[in-house]
Amino acid sequence: MENIQNNSMRLALSVLSTLLVTACGDASTNSEALLQIKSEFIDLEGVLSNWSLGGGDICSWNGVACLASRSHVLGLNLSGHGLSGSISSKMGSLVSLQTLDLSSNSLTGAIPPELGLLKNLRELFLYSNSLSGPIPPELGLLKKLKILRIGNNGLSGEIPPHLGSCTELEILGLASCQLNGTIPKEMGNLKHLKSLNLQNNRLGGLIPPELGGCGELQVLSAAANRLEGGIPSTVGGLNALQILNLMNNQLSGSIPIELGNLSSLTYLNLLGNRLSGAIPPELNQLRQLQILDLSDNDLSGAIDLSTRHLNSLEYLVLSKNSLHGGIDENLCPESASLRNLFLAENNLTGTMEGLLNCASLRSLDLSNNSLSGSIPSDIDRLANLVDLVLHNNSLVGVLPPQVGNMSDLEMLSVFHNGLTGEIPAEIGRLQRLTLLYLYENQMAGTIPRELTNCSRLEEIDFFGNHFTGPIPETMGRLENLVVLQLRQNELSGPIPPSLGYCRRLQALALADNQLSGALPRTLGFLAELRLVTLYNNSLEGPLPESVFRLKNLAIINFSHNRFAGSISPLLGSRALAKMDLTNNSFSGAIPPVLGEARNLTRLRLGRNLLSGTVPAEVGRLEGLGFLDLSSNNLTGGIPLELSECRQLTHLLLGGNRLTGTIPRWFGSLRSLGELDLSSNDFRGDVPAELGNCSGLLKISLHDNRLSGIIPPEMGRLTSLNVLALQRNHLSGPIPSAIQHCDKLYELRLSDNFLSGWIPPELGQLTELQVVLDLSRNHLSGGIPPSLGHLIKLERLDVSFNRLQGPIPPSLERLTSLHQLNLSNNLLQGPIPAALSNFPSSSFLGGNQLCGAPLASCTPLSGSDAKRLSNAQVAGITAAIAFVSAAVCLVLLYIIIRMWSDWREVSVSNSDGEEQEANQENKWRGDGSQKVGRRYWRVHSMCVAAASPDDKRSSTSEACILRQIMQVDKLVGASQVL
Amino acid sequence: MASRVALVSFLLLLAAAPAMSTNYEGEALQALRARLSDPSNALQSWNPSLVNPCTWFHVTCDVRNRVIRLDLGNSNISGPLAPELGRLQDLQYLELYGNNFEGKIPEELGNLKSLISMDLYGNRLEGEIPKSFAKLKSLRFLRLNNNKLSGSIPRELVTLSNLKVFDVSNNDLCGTIPIDGPFATFPIQSFGNNSRLNGPELQGPVPYDFGC
Repeated sequence: MENIQNNSMRLALSVLSTLLVTACGDASTNSEALLQIKSEFIDLEGVLSNWSLGGGDICSWNGVACLASRSHVLGLNLSGHGLSGSISSKMGSLVSLQTLDLSSNSLTGAIPPELGLLKNLRELFLYSNSLSGPIPPELGLLKKLKILRIGNNGLSGEIPPHLGSCTELEILGLASCQLNGTIPKEMGNLKHLKSLNLQNNRLGGLIPPELGGCGELQVLSAAANRLEGGIPSTVGGLNALQILNLMNNQLSGSIPIELGNLSSLTYLNLLGNRLSGAIPPELNQLRQLQILDLSDNDLSGAIDLSTRHLNSLEYLVLSKNSLHGGIDENLCPESASLRNLFLAENNLTGTMEGLLNCASLRSLDLSNNSLSGSIPSDIDRLANLVDLVLHNNSLVGVLPPQVGNMSDLEMLSVFHNGLTGEIPAEIGRLQRLTLLYLYENQMAGTIPRELTNCSRLEEIDFFGNHFTGPIPETMGRLENLVVLQLRQNELSGPIPPSLGYCRRLQALALADNQLSGALPRTLGFLAELRLVTLYNNSLEGPLPESVFRLKNLAIINFSHNRFAGSISPLLGSRALAKMDLTNNSFSGAIPPVLGEARNLTRLRLGRNLLSGTVPAEVGRLEGLGFLDLSSNNLTGGIPLELSECRQLTHLLLGGNRLTGTIPRWFGSLRSLGELDLSSNDFRGDVPAELGNCSGLLKISLHDNRLSGIIPPEMGRLTSLNVLALQRNHLSGPIPSAIQHCDKLYELRLSDNFLSGWIPPELGQLTELQVVLDLSRNHLSGGIPPSLGHLIKLERLDVSFNRLQGPIPPSLERLTSLHQLNLSNNLLQGPIPAALSNFPSSSFLGGNQLCGAPLASCTPLSGSDAKRLSNAQVAGITAAIAFVSAAVCLVLLYIIIRMWSDWREVSVSNSDGEEQEANQENKWRGDGSQKVGRRYWRVHSMCVAAASPDDKRSSTSEACILRQIMQVDKLVGASQVL
Repeated sequence: MASRVALVSFLLLLAAAPAMSTNYEGEALQALRARLSDPSNALQSWNPSLVNPCTWFHVTCDVRNRVIRLDLGNSNISGPLAPELGRLQDLQYLELYGNNFEGKIPEELGNLKSLISMDLYGNRLEGEIPKSFAKLKSLRFLRLNNNKLSGSIPRELVTLSNLKVFDVSNNDLCGTIPIDGPFATFPIQSFGNNSRLNGPELQGPVPYDFGC
């Protein structure tokens, strides 16, 4: 309030001073003023060329209109004269001016406040220029002004409340500027205002209820601002209002029922606000209403509108609200003028039967609701329908054949419903049909050949149904087809060669079917083809050479088929961005021409029969992110040029016959997330530079011949999840720095020559989960107790090493463990009780462990007996005892034989017998003498240890026990025996 | 007649099953991503235009291209867990520990029928442990510790016969601790630092539970 007073003071002062200036200049003629005005314009087109002192009477000057007496300039109209420059303040001295029109030029600068002096001005047009700065409050002095149109400029600041003093105003246009602040309540003083256009500014705040005072208002638009709050009910008092446009603001609250009083209203647009509550039934009183758009609000409740009352209504748009309930017949009880009905994105339920009386409908959009029931078989009562959009509902039943009677139909979109049954052959009668979306339904049967009569069809999408049989061989009749999407059906047979006539085709998606046969040669005619996806079919044979002609191909996915031969026909397009040929039988070399496809970001050729080398030209693909050449027969090394592919995130070369070393420049591939070189023939060391690839998540270098140490720099890979280096020739210690890879969930270092201790720091890898496998190395020392921190670990394998000492009791904390292998080490002592549930095979082999599941640690009779008393190993013991007994019996038999032989020899000394004995000895692979004692010493400690008296009872326990200690040796020996 | 009814209800079931769209599992993961804040760009590689999510980082698939692992531990992610995750029918490992996941645990996670391990520890999850977890018959590891979970431990979880590890320490749970089924073997530390948790339930002729 105070502000306004201040402003008025300042205004009064400035007006006074200007008046003084003009008073002084009163003597100067209008011509001088006009020349001054001219001098501030930039008149590139020369439209003001006759504005000169020698140019005669000013009333003859271009754009100048005078009173008949030629004493006063009444009008100045320079609209659309290509003027730039600024509006002179001298304009204010043309005090008799009634009309000033400078619209549609390129004027810049401010609107001079001196215009406020033009107190006879009735019309002021400055719209469509590039004027900036504020609207001068002085314009409020123009008491006779009827039309003020200054929109479509760069004006900023607030709307001066003083405009409320221009009480004669009929048209006020301030649209498309950068005005901010609020709509001044003083606007309500403009009793004669017929049109108020404030749209497309930055006005905020509330709509002043005082606007209700503009009783003659016919057009009110404040669309595309930032207005808040409710729509004042006083707007409902604007009896003359024909157009009310408040769309795209932030208005809230409910729609005032008073709007129902606007009996002249033809256009009501409230879209894009935050209006809530129900749609007031009072709107039914708007008999003149032709367009009603309440979409994109938060309106709820049922639709209680009826064309019985709204009998002028042509457009009804209620989409994007939260409207509930069904669509009853009341909405459209009889044939009405309604042509466009948009109710999409609500929560509408029930069937669509109620709409069938809307015979004038041309567009019907009920998509994204919860409609149920079927598409009525008398849908053809909507005979004028052009667009039928029913997708994303819960419709069931069939697509009725009567659809074929809707001869104007251009768009039929019923995707993502529960439709069943076949596509009716009658659909072939729809000569105007351009778009047919049936995807994500449960439709089945064959695709009718009649469909190919719909010669205007541009887009077909049948994705995710159960269509069977062949793709109609007459497909080529659809000459306007742009998109053919048949993915994920059960289609079989070949790709019809006639497709080659669909010259406009850009996307051909036939993936996930059971198609077979070769790719038809005619595909080479589809010059506009951008995308071809054929993955997961049974297509076979070599690719036709003609495909090389397709210069626009950007996306190719032929993976999981049986294609064979060279891939070169697919490399004709430099637009290629993604190519996936995984899992086919492509053979031959990777053509170097691939390097010309500079947009290629994804190249997957894995699981084929490709041979030759990785071409150096791949290095020219600077945008390449994904390179998968795995599981082929590639040979040679990794080309240096590949180091130019700095965007690589996935480099998968595993399962080939690649040789050479792992290049150090891998360290410069900073985007690398997965590196798989496994199952090749790489030699040399693991480059320390890999530690620079800090984004690496997965490294698979297993099954190569890598040697040297595991570089400690691996510890810098703090994102690493999986490190697989197993089955190489790596040596040296496990670097303790690996502790920093604290996101590792899988660590495999088995089958190498790693030595030294297991670093206790491994215990810090607490996210290890899948496996920690250090087996089959030369690791020594103890199992670090810190491994007990790996509480998520499910598999731990340290078998076949030289680990000593006890099993740390801390391993009892590995509660997630379900596979444990400590076997074949030199471990000693008791097995912690919590590990007793693991099988004995987890602990056997070389170790001297005791306790469950092995023999009890409690001594029985002798120190050797300790490990025998447990029942759980009784079976093994029995088996060993049996074998031992057998061995001992055999040996005893031999001894007895030899002893008796020796006795016989000593008695008879038969040559023949001696020879036989020698042969027997030879057969035992030993060459020992026939002297019994020495023979025993060589072959069996156990028997040797037994006293000569015990020879006959060589199955004694002591003998067996010793043998358990040397299970392997004994079994080996018995095999020899 | 009965068999016809059975057939019809079977067909209905089929119809009710969500259609496997273009990239059904990828979409479920995108639904997760859509609501998350990911300042470290861990999810940058999640390109929705790919046929499946199997080449996205932090996602692992089996040979049938079905998602079996989601590894987003310690990834500086915040936001809610998406109910859509429950659609990953083959998921075995859900590793979302050490982030700032917040809000409730969606009960839809109970639909992860192949799940072996659910590690949601070290987040800001609140609300109750969903009863629907009783449907996770393959579950061996359930670590929900260090969150802000409240309510009681659902008794229904005693039916999870494969459950080997259960950790709900450092939450705000209340009521008593079940003692049946796998709960007979869980150490008391698994329940530690829940100030309102009363200790093992007492069983008698009348079920005894203070509730919360």
